[in-house]
This record gives sequence, structure tokens and C-alpha cells, in this order.
Amino acid sequence: MAYRIQRIPSAPPSVALAARGLAIVLALVTAGIVLAALGFNPLALGWQVLRTTFGSSYGLEDVGLLVIPLIFTGLAVAVGQKIGAQNIGAEGQFYAGAFAATGVALFVPGPMAVILPLMFVAGAIGGAIWILIPTLARAYADVNELITTLLLNFVATLLVYWVATGPWLDPSGRALATTARLPHEVPEFWGIVHWGLPVAVVVVLLVGALFAFTRWGYEVRIAGSNPQAARYAGMPFRRHLIMVMLLSGAIAGLAGMFEVAGTVHRLQGGISNNFGYLGIMVAVLARASPIGVLPAAALMAIILNSGIVLQTQGITVSTVLAITGLILFYTAIGDELARYRIVRA
Amino acid sequence: MIAPEPPVPVPTRFVPPPGTAPIVQLRGIAKYFPGVIANEDVDLDVMPGEIHALLGENGAGKSTLMNILTGIYQPDAGEIVIDGYPQSFASPVEAIAAGIGMVHQHFKLVKAFTVAENIHLGWSDTPRAVSAAVLERRTAELAQALNLTVDPAARIGELSTGEQQRVEILRVLTRKARVLILDEPTAVLTPAEAHELFRALKDFVARGNAVIFISHKLDEVLEISDRVTVLRGGRKVATEQTAGCTETSLARLMVGREIVLSDMRGRSAGAAPIGAPVMTLEDIRADDGQGHVVLDGLSLVLRAGEILGIAGVAGNGQKELTQVITGMRQAASGRILVDGADFSRAGAAEFADFGVGHIPEDRLHSGLAPSLSITDNAVLREYDRPPLSGGFGFNGRAATALAKDIAEAASVTVPDFGMPVRNLSGGNQQRLVARREMRIASRVLVAAYPSRGLDVGAINMMMRYLVELRDKGVAVLFISEELEELLNLSDRIAVMFHGRVMGVVDTAEADIDTIGLMMGGKRLTDDAKGRGH
Amino acid sequence: MINISDLTRRGFLNIGAAAGASLLLPKTGLISSARAAAPLPAVAEEDAVIAWGYVGPTSDEGWTYAHDLGRQAVAAAFPKAKTLFVENVPYSADASRIFRQFAAEGANMIIANSNYGDFIYDVAKRTPDVAFYECDGRNPLDNLGTYYVAHWYPSYIAGVAAGLMSASGKLGYVASFPVPSVYSGTNAFLMGARSVKPEATLQAIVINSWFDPQAAAQAGTALIDNGADVLFGIMDEAAYLQVAEQRGAKAVMWNTDIRRYGPQAYISSIVVDFNAWYVEQVRRRIAGEWTPTEDILPIGSGVDRDAWGETVPAETAAQADAIRDKIMGGWSPFEGEIKDANGNVKVAAGHRMTEVELYNWDWSIEGVTGL
Repeated sequence: MAYRIQRIPSAPPSVALAARGLAIVLALVTAGIVLAALGFNPLALGWQVLRTTFGSSYGLEDVGLLVIPLIFTGLAVAVGQKIGAQNIGAEGQFYAGAFAATGVALFVPGPMAVILPLMFVAGAIGGAIWILIPTLARAYADVNELITTLLLNFVATLLVYWVATGPWLDPSGRALATTARLPHEVPEFWGIVHWGLPVAVVVVLLVGALFAFTRWGYEVRIAGSNPQAARYAGMPFRRHLIMVMLLSGAIAGLAGMFEVAGTVHRLQGGISNNFGYLGIMVAVLARASPIGVLPAAALMAIILNSGIVLQTQGITVSTVLAITGLILFYTAIGDELARYRIVRA
Repeated sequence: MIAPEPPVPVPTRFVPPPGTAPIVQLRGIAKYFPGVIANEDVDLDVMPGEIHALLGENGAGKSTLMNILTGIYQPDAGEIVIDGYPQSFASPVEAIAAGIGMVHQHFKLVKAFTVAENIHLGWSDTPRAVSAAVLERRTAELAQALNLTVDPAARIGELSTGEQQRVEILRVLTRKARVLILDEPTAVLTPAEAHELFRALKDFVARGNAVIFISHKLDEVLEISDRVTVLRGGRKVATEQTAGCTETSLARLMVGREIVLSDMRGRSAGAAPIGAPVMTLEDIRADDGQGHVVLDGLSLVLRAGEILGIAGVAGNGQKELTQVITGMRQAASGRILVDGADFSRAGAAEFADFGVGHIPEDRLHSGLAPSLSITDNAVLREYDRPPLSGGFGFNGRAATALAKDIAEAASVTVPDFGMPVRNLSGGNQQRLVARREMRIASRVLVAAYPSRGLDVGAINMMMRYLVELRDKGVAVLFISEELEELLNLSDRIAVMFHGRVMGVVDTAEADIDTIGLMMGGKRLTDDAKGRGH
Repeated sequence: MINISDLTRRGFLNIGAAAGASLLLPKTGLISSARAAAPLPAVAEEDAVIAWGYVGPTSDEGWTYAHDLGRQAVAAAFPKAKTLFVENVPYSADASRIFRQFAAEGANMIIANSNYGDFIYDVAKRTPDVAFYECDGRNPLDNLGTYYVAHWYPSYIAGVAAGLMSASGKLGYVASFPVPSVYSGTNAFLMGARSVKPEATLQAIVINSWFDPQAAAQAGTALIDNGADVLFGIMDEAAYLQVAEQRGAKAVMWNTDIRRYGPQAYISSIVVDFNAWYVEQVRRRIAGEWTPTEDILPIGSGVDRDAWGETVPAETAAQADAIRDKIMGGWSPFEGEIKDANGNVKVAAGHRMTEVELYNWDWSIEGVTGL
């Protein structure tokens, strides 16, 4: 009796979940073998990671803080994918949002209750403006947004470097390359974790509801799955594309706003910490589901925090990055393999 | 340096010595796909020195048969005999090693590479040390030896389609192919280019090789081939000496001699009579967005309570016609009148609102969102009206309820309405789409190849759906490649060829030969209009 | 809300207040100023965890390498204590995460060998039971101290040698950022040179990095093209020394002895040594005596000029070393009247700049351009 492998269009959820779990375990085993070869004790390291991440308020707070920008950037990328737009410019929109929010904080006087919401709006608008040109180019000239959004990342990165070391440099002269500390900060509610976290969760739920429970969301889902079908049903594909891409940019801009106003408190070059690019991975892990972004961002935050733990144990940044990449790589393979089954030929 | 041999005059015709085995022999070939018989019990002999035409409508099994011969598919039954020895090809590489090469409709050339680079790509004879000059010299020599004119240094992207085809043929021939299979090669050529191709093919078989020429065009089959094998519904109908054939006899073989009449044209007592025009197309012209004219002055009238059949070989503008009359494509010129109102500039939403349903030809590509749930797909036409939608919201529960109704009406058993629609079989997708469209088709239903991919029982059900709508007074535009279906169902039949209507006949007076000729590009003249039949 | 201008003034005043006791005496070994806070409780040596966050890699042969030697000295002095370190700590929120992780792993003392601003300040504020040190820091807390080196004295001494060896009287400086370390370095170097060559000038080029060999080499080339024949700078690598070697110019370096990259060009280096200071701070922490300090390691005990290069004439070396002896004896070259680059008198005649003023020097003297 011969057997052969058959590909099925989509894996049942239980199999997909099991494949994910197996992938993470296998990635950790592989990483453990590599670490053992480098002369570390993988079990002790693993215990250390677990103990300091989940066994202390330090670790939990750090994860809680890390997850905020990851939720926003992951959601931004996932929202774009809903209509088939690959926004890999979340990094640039993050900077634009941080820049706009900082501008409001530094130059608009007023009480916190007014300025913080204003910063929120400015962050969203900043992010949306940053994706405006790629959006219009895609909608009207069919220019691939992959390239345009990516290229604008570099522009935004350099722009923020320039303002933070130039015109907006801390006038006190003490900071090397940052603006002054913002006069208003997003308040913290648990240790170092600020109110950006609940806001991020609410935004995720709102966006999830937008796609699940509105006519507009239904049309966007159809258009994202098959633009032909949207045309067939007479839906305004272009208008939806523009709206969704601007929404994606605005959400990425919020990531920048909360990072500068809640975590770093000053605008500086490198403030994005690659959160824009990590958002792509979060969206992939979430399979472009808005609600799925929450667990995916949490997993990513735990991985990143574990990376910090490993660094303090004498493991270099590059090794940590390799292990992080390994976990994501195995997960991607697991996702694909979950769609195969063995059948009797 | 050896002086090149003087060219040997080629004989005008290669006559194999008596007792020579066929170069290719297929015996009892069968191939089944889920729910579809692609080929069954097909025999085919191809002799050295002959051009053998393979004639049949789209979906008759020509391409599948050739894909079996070239190792792309494995036959489920039957055997392949080459030069008298049974062979089995696990891949096209093995087939080409046995001297069997195929030129597909869509060329497999690298556009950014030169002709010489494409010829040498993936070829074991390519020298290890290559330079542009070496490759181009080799290419020029090969082209000369095979009597095919190409510019070795030209980039593929700069060549015309005919020149690209020549490169593709050269590529196959350089692999020492003795049997050259061409899949509808003239579809992409100008008449002059086609002529040139025919000359090259005749040269090729004069050297003792063979050509299998896939086509559905009667005139060129008569012009080029020595023998012709006709396939219909996956089976071989006949193999004839071309010299003894006429366009009429070939057309009859191709579309079927005996039509099993299960006439559905009769109307029940309560049925609506054929009424006023619902939709009128006047002199519609459209291009495919790349400058090719696909609708070329087409005029049609759709009447309430009438099924208008569209016959013709696929690819003659049927797809674009469905797009134009559902608002998905704007005509470049001409008018569309709907109930007297000008809908020439209307979009898909306006047509749908008016009551135009559309069962598209490639349902998975234009009628469905494959990765979304069955529910999402089932409600595509009614998501924007109560109870699914009140203003801004979208009621998922109401959507599932509607999806259940549609699935029930379509007799599709759905275990999980949240499952992606692509997990359904093609037949079930088709039935869902049909039922969904019928719900909104209060005035017009456009049904493009609605029976494609369905088994006999399902086809019958689909036909009854159309009759049901007709009896309610809906105008039905029914596009099909199956003449039998068209004759059983339509009140009138229009035949399309190259974006034009060759003629419209009343089914009652229709004559299969005439329709076959019109499908092959003969315009309906007054004396052939079927009055005498 | 935190107001940065208040904070910096507070930092300034704190150092100033402490200076009354010890900072004015820069040559009496380690300078410590006890703050009012109660000492952190003692820890057993075997329980002690001391963690370093490094701005660069330990293999940089420069600043981080010198600090890691200090860490190794601590490990040797307290063999039962545990030392941790992370290299290449970015100037970002990740720095906070690393410092917090040190705390989570039970660190009793966390040391950053560069200025991490809010990224260390915010962590220190939330973990009052951990001792923090920030090199070149300016925002002290009850558990966050600051340390640095009085590099302006060896810079002045090297400037004397540079002035004697410069034919053109034009000096070049490869600067990282316009920050106090750079102002005090350029100013001290030029003042030293002018003490022997009054017409000397200094041109600085800012390259916005502490470690960018390519930019540093380009800056060095540009400076020499503009006529400079002695280069100085504040880089963690040797690029401009190699440029000087190729172009036949001279160079003064930082951190460690790296003369092998340009033996002909090498005049000297501002060498640093944190070993004794680190050992002392860890001892105090373990013993339960630690309160935060703002320390500036004086010449001879943490910072000095390196042994003179092989092309430095003996009499030049002798003349510069005589100045070094004077400084070690209590003399300061940084006495008024000193004018800034715009000709305004910034230090009145007779006023001797305090260590705190030198540490926070943020203006260029007459003759310095490019900052």
C-alpha cells in the first residue's frame, strides 16, 4: 500500500495550532542545541528566561510595555493585508506619528487632558500622511506599495534623526541627540506600563469589529480576498483601498505616538527600534487577523524580552536575533506543513 | 575547416517505407479528474512525414491528451508507444529525450534574455564555457540547419509574437524533437505569420518528422493537415484523411452528429411569454485593455422571458460580452439600453440593482472570494440590504441565515459555513453562485458556461434553474460551448466569432451545420439562414 | 512632570555642593562626595551581582575595552561576586530594558559606561535598592551616581607637545558631538598649544559618532588638507591616526595605547584606567557603605597621558612633562582671563575654573572653529 502527500487548501484550526506549538518547541530545541554547542547550558538559560519573564513584575511589565508598539504596528500591517496591500512602511509611519505627536507636545501649550488627545490625533494623521503618496500611487497608477512604503521608511528615519539632532535638539544642551523631554506623558497604570496598552487593545477590538460587523468591513474583506469579485459585485475597490491604506498608516503612526509619549518621552533617532518591521512578523503570525494580532504581538514581545534576558547572560545580540528568526522561520514552515496530509494512494 | 555541404533539395513529401511503425501511437488512453472524464479510450497514430491535426471544441480533451503524451500527466489507463516500443514519460524532460516536444499556447521564454540565451537555457548540449558570441553563433547555425530565421542577439521582449513562437519552435527542435506538438499555434499569429509557420512545418515533416497540430479552426485544419483526429467529450470521434473532408463534415464531427433532444423549450401554462426587449446592445466595441479589439461592433437584443443562447468557440469575445452587459467593463463605443434607459456608463452596482444576475465563467476568479467563508461569499449580492445591513452595520447572523437558505436551494451540503469557499468542490461552488445570482436576477441573468465542471445530474438541475427564470419573465443570456445544451434550452442562438455576432437563428429552425460553420468564422448569408430547412 | 532645565541645574548644584569638600583638590586620589542618602544595605560577596552596560564592544581597543578591564579587576578582587555585562547597549528604550533585566537578575550595582540619559534615570528611579552609576551622567538620584575622568589635564599636556611639534600652528580635532567632553578637550588642547605657540588655532569637524572609522578618516583627511599638522579627537578607534601616519602629520589619541596603528604619527594618548575606582565602588557597595557619588577621576589616578611616541623629541617630552608635574603639584592652567570664540570674557581674570565648570564646559575658547 503506497502513501502520498496531499495538499489541502486550508488547515483545520486544531492542526494549525498544533503545528504552531510544535514549531516553537522545535525552534527552541534547535536553539538549545546551538547554545549548548556554544558552551551554554540551555536548560539553565531557559529557566532563567521563564523565571525573569513570568516570575517577576520586571519581566511582565517589560513584556507589557514591549507589546504596545507591536500591537499597533502588527495591526497596521494586518489591516493593509485585509485589502491585499502590503504596508511594509509601518516603520516610516511610526516615525511620522512620533514626529507629529512630538511637535504637538513641544509646541502646543495646554493642559494634559487636551494635549494628549491632540497628540493621539496628530500621531494618527502623521502616520496616514506618510502613507498617502504610496496609497495614491497604488490606487491611481498601480505602483507597487511594497517599494514605495519601504523607501519612505528611510526618509522618515533620517528626517527624525535630523530634527532630533538639529532644530528640535534639547535646548538644555545636555542631551546628545534627542528633543527635550515631552511636557506631557501617557500616564502609567502598572509599573512602567502606560495606558497605551489598554488603548491598543481597544483599537484592536474596534478594528476587528469594523471588519466583522460593518458593511464597509465586508466590502473590504471581499476586495482583499479577490479584487475581481469586488468589481463583479460593484464595490468601489479604489475608494476602499485608499481608506484601508490610510487607516493602516494611521495605526502605525499611533505606535510612534505612544512610544514617544509613553515609553521614551523624547523624540530621537532610532526610536522605532524596528517595531515597524517587527509588525510585519506580528501580522504574519496573526494571519492578518486583527484579533489575532493580540496573541501574536504578545508572543513577539515575549520573544524580544527573552532576547534581552539572553543578552545579559552573555549571549550576543546576533545570536539572540538568530534564535528569534529561527522561531519565526519554524512557525512559517509549520503553518505551511499543517496544510499537508498523508493519504493512501 | 570543412566547407558546408551544399543544401540538399528537400522532397516535397516524405513517404515512409511500407511497414514503418507509427512514430507515435496512443492506445486506449484514459485520464480522469475528480468528476470529469478528460480522456477515455483514445487511440491515435501519428506517422512519420505527416501533419496530424487534433480537432475539437474547448474542453474536448485535446490538451489533456497532449499533456499525457509529453509527460506532464500520467495516463490512468492505456499506453504510449514510440517507434513501436512502449514508453512511459514521468516528465516532459523524458518526453523530449524520446523526441517529443511541445510548443504551448503560452510561451515558456525568458523575456529579458536574448534568443540565443533562451535556446541554450536548461539544455545539456550547452557548452560549459559560454559567452554571448559563442551562444549566438551556435544559435545561428542551428537556426540555419533547421531552416528557421531568428536573430540570435535579439531580446525576447522585443520580438513579435510570431517571432517568439519561432524561437519556441527552434528551442524544441534543437532538442532533437521528431514529433512537434503545437497547441493552437495560429491563435496568436497574423495571417502572414501563420502562413510562414505552415511552410516551416511542411519543411519539418518533409524530413521524416511529424507534427501534431491542435486546433479548432476548420479552415486551417483543412489547409495544413494530412490527417485529422476529432475529439469530443474526451473521446475520439474519428480519424479521417483530410483530403476527404469538408468544413461541414468536420464541423459536424466536432460539435456532434446526434443531438439527444431533451427539449426544454416548451413552456408550461403559467409561464411568461416572450416579451419586450429588456436589454439592447447596439454596436458595442471594446478592447481588452492591451489594445486588442475583443468586441467588434456587436449588437444583441435580450427579451423578457426568453433564453438567448450564445454559441461559439471560447475566446471569441464571450467573456468580454458578459462583462460589458453586467457593468464590469465599459464599452469603448456603442450603447447599452436597459428598459430604454442608457446604461452605457453604468457600473456593476447599477446593473445589479436593476436586477442583472451574473454567473461568471471563471467563478473562483471573479464570482467568489476564495479565502473567505461560504457565508461571506453566499451573501455577496445581498449584503447591502436588510436584514443583513441596516445602514452601516453588517449582521453576521443574518448573513449565515441567508447563506443557509442559498445552500439549501442549491442542494449543497455545507458542514461549516465559516469554512473558506475554496474548500468546496467546483460543482458546489457553481451551484451556490448560480442560486445566489438567481435571487437578484429579477430582469436579466447572464450565465456563462454554467454547466462547466458539473456532472450530468447537476447540469440538468442547472438547466432547470434557467428555465425557471425564463418562465418568470427574466431575460436569460446563456453562453455555452455545448451545442446540445444550446439547442435544448435557447429560444434563439447567436453565434460569436472574433468579437462579432455571425448570425442569430431561431432554435426551431436551426441547422447544426450552419452553426458549426458560423463558429468557424463563416458569416450567415441569406440563403443559409435556415429558411430552407 | 519632569522639567529638564530644573534637573540639570540640580545636577550641577549637587556636584557644586560636593565640590566644596573635594572636587577642588583634583590631585588627591579618588574624589568622592557623599550625598545625604542613607547607604544601601550590605550584601554578602557571594550574593553580589555587579552588571555593566557597555556602549561599544569589549573588543574596541578603546573606551569599552578600558571599562571591561575594570570589570575584570572587580572580578579578581571579589572572586565570589558575579559580574554581568552586555555589549553594544543601544541608545534607545532597549537600554532601559537591559538595565531593568539586570535588576531582575538581582544586580546590586548597575554601571553604564556612557550617558544613557532618561533610559537609565527612569530605571534607577524605580529601583531604589539598586546602586547605579552612569559615566558622564548629569542627572543624579539618591541611587544614581556619576563618574568621569579629568581628561582636560592630559589634553592640556598633549596640547603643549602638539604646539611644540606643529609647524603650521594649525591643529585639527575629530569631534563626535558638540558636548562638554568635546569642548573641554578642544579647549584644553588648544590652550596647551598656545602656551608655547600663542598663534595656534584649532579646527574641529563633528562626525556625529563615537565610532565611525570611515567618517573619522574623512574628517582627518579634510583637516590635514586645511593645513592642520597635528590631529586630536575623541574616537574609539584609530582611523585618524592612520591618516596622520600616511600624510606625515602627528596625532594625539584617546583611551588606550594604540601607537602601533601609526608609530611615526603617535604623540600620545589620553589613557584611562577605571580599575581602582570600580573596585572601590564595589567594595563600598558590598560593605554597606555605598551612597551615590559624582566622581571625576583625577590625572594620575584614572586618566593620564600615555608614554610619549617615538618621534616626540626628548626636549618636547621633557617640557610637557614639566607642565604635568606642575599640574600634579596643584597648578591649574584653566585660570582667567579666558575668552570664548566670540571674544567675550567668560572666565574673569584670576578665577580658576572648578572641576565642575570644566566638566560642564559648553563653549569654545578663542581660536577654536567648527563647534
